[in-house]
Amino acid sequence: MHRHEVIIIGGGVTGCAIAYNLAARGLRDVAVLERYYLASGATGRCGAGFRHQWGTKTNCLLAKHAIAKLETLAEELDYPGGIDLKQKGYLILAYTPRMVEQFKKNLALQQSLGIDARWLTPEEAKEIVPVLNTEGLLGATYCPKDGHANPFKVTDAYARAAKRLGVKIHTYTEVLDIKVEGSLKTVLTNRGTFQAPVVVNAAGGHAATIGRMVGVDLPIKPERHQILVTEPVEPLLDPMVISFYHHLYCQQTPHGSFVMGLGDPNEPKEYNERSSWQFLVQMAGKIVRLLPPLKNLRVVRQWAGVYDMSPDAQPILCEAPEVPGFFVAAGFSGHGFMIAPMTGQLMAELILGQPTSLPVDMFHLSRFSRGELLIEPSVV
Amino acid sequence: MLPVDGIPTPEDIMAKMPPPERLARGPVVMVECFQQIPCDPCTHACPRQAILPMKDINEIPRVDYEKCNGCGQCISVCPGLALFVVDLTYSEEEALVKLPYEFLPLPAEGQVVAGLNRAGEEVCPARVVKVVATEKMDKTAVIWLAVPKNMAMEVRHLKVKPRGTTVICRCEDVTLEEIEHLIKVEGVRTLEEIKRLKRCGMGPCQGRTCLPLIAREIYRLCGTEPDSLAWPTYRPPVIPLKLGVLAGGGSDDAQA
Repeated sequence: MHRHEVIIIGGGVTGCAIAYNLAARGLRDVAVLERYYLASGATGRCGAGFRHQWGTKTNCLLAKHAIAKLETLAEELDYPGGIDLKQKGYLILAYTPRMVEQFKKNLALQQSLGIDARWLTPEEAKEIVPVLNTEGLLGATYCPKDGHANPFKVTDAYARAAKRLGVKIHTYTEVLDIKVEGSLKTVLTNRGTFQAPVVVNAAGGHAATIGRMVGVDLPIKPERHQILVTEPVEPLLDPMVISFYHHLYCQQTPHGSFVMGLGDPNEPKEYNERSSWQFLVQMAGKIVRLLPPLKNLRVVRQWAGVYDMSPDAQPILCEAPEVPGFFVAAGFSGHGFMIAPMTGQLMAELILGQPTSLPVDMFHLSRFSRGELLIEPSVV
Repeated sequence: MLPVDGIPTPEDIMAKMPPPERLARGPVVMVECFQQIPCDPCTHACPRQAILPMKDINEIPRVDYEKCNGCGQCISVCPGLALFVVDLTYSEEEALVKLPYEFLPLPAEGQVVAGLNRAGEEVCPARVVKVVATEKMDKTAVIWLAVPKNMAMEVRHLKVKPRGTTVICRCEDVTLEEIEHLIKVEGVRTLEEIKRLKRCGMGPCQGRTCLPLIAREIYRLCGTEPDSLAWPTYRPPVIPLKLGVLAGGGSDDAQA
């Protein structure tokens, strides 16, 4: 039996960032339980990008503060090898008048929050991405401070910093059930029993399952997304290119390989991390039309991961009203990695009962029963 | 012995030693020039005329140690690489040796290199404090090395320790030494972590070559049986395929 002050379920970037932020604020008796290895779920399978260009004020603010933290994270966490940071922007392509209208609204919002994002004509977009096929393109938005970081290294940096402060990280430890007796929660795993008054659900695509163990109904559904990666080549593509019209994104990592993914609107809502050959064919077909010179690049690997989709594509960050001491940090809907530095800080503040450095009330679980959804329009 | 192997004997060195009281006061030149040859650039290089003018160009240089302030401007001028500056007052534990260096790549400041003696043997680790390599020095850099104090009169050259040369992951160019460091120093114990930290298994071969070798290193260093390790997933495609081919056009010349 292990007794702790806080148990965090999920050793992804979110869980590790929360653990570090708690320990850095003095609460060091923290255990992280991870069913496999660190970053083995959505974190390690994600597209590794971060962007300021969102369509809601809350996401813009979260992203802005999180990216500022990513810029200095290696120093803050004393991670000498760095986190493979690249800030060469995101180029978001507009193909319909409706997209143009929405993107210009988004830009006005972003600019009002001090984010350096701007509108580009197709010609200007082509200057930034010379390999872009601008056929049918009406314009694009661009923020030069958007970019890439290595999700494994960010998670590893948080985990190592947390461990140095006394946090215990248990990998290959799968949560089987949780019993709540008074304020105490008993977490049963395949590797022994853990107890704490505070449990944090940072289980990504498994968050709803963990919620059910304590009777908290989380409207989070796993949704498979697939990615492929090519052989590394010389730098060719500076920004991440996103097209909501094609439901795709594509970025060249600092390593030189291209990482690209598709969102399939017809993807069933189930936990599925298997790769499909249909994805390879669809992805290749779309990217070869959009960035034609990439046709000569070889695909070396593909994989799949799950988004933890919430009904409004925004995270749930709160203490569950029905179970005091049971906190939720899940439902990130495909952008958990990039905001994790702020999620870690905000959740630590919530757990410690401190004032939060950004407003978080709107991320409360109760917004769904009140019908106050914060729909984010800009998700692939 | 100098005439035989070019290596000065302790007696040869003693004869070139600056006076002990001068050494105790800080940086000073040491002229390890043993042969009478027609050569005098050092006498012109010293801004303080500490290396005395020669009457005959075949003379061995003589030094007025009171004039020398150890600036080291003479070092890169000597074609025989025979001039050094030694500072025994550098710190409690370390002495500073400024020496000429004509190899590439130059070491980086802060890098730990091997200190070599006059016979070219490794005698101690040495830390590069400064690398001076200006245009005027004509490719003879001056390296400032911090060495253990008792090695100040021994270390006269350096060797940049090569990066490990046993490549264990050919796709991502990862060496055995890097893997050993992860396991022994960073405490990494699983293939999954090594894959994520070093990309072994993420390249075109998908780990076919490197992962069994790394599993063996984990076994050698930690005793974990390869069968009890969690092995990363081998993912499609089995061989690298061009995007253009997947998109339905042309053939992949790599398959021909």
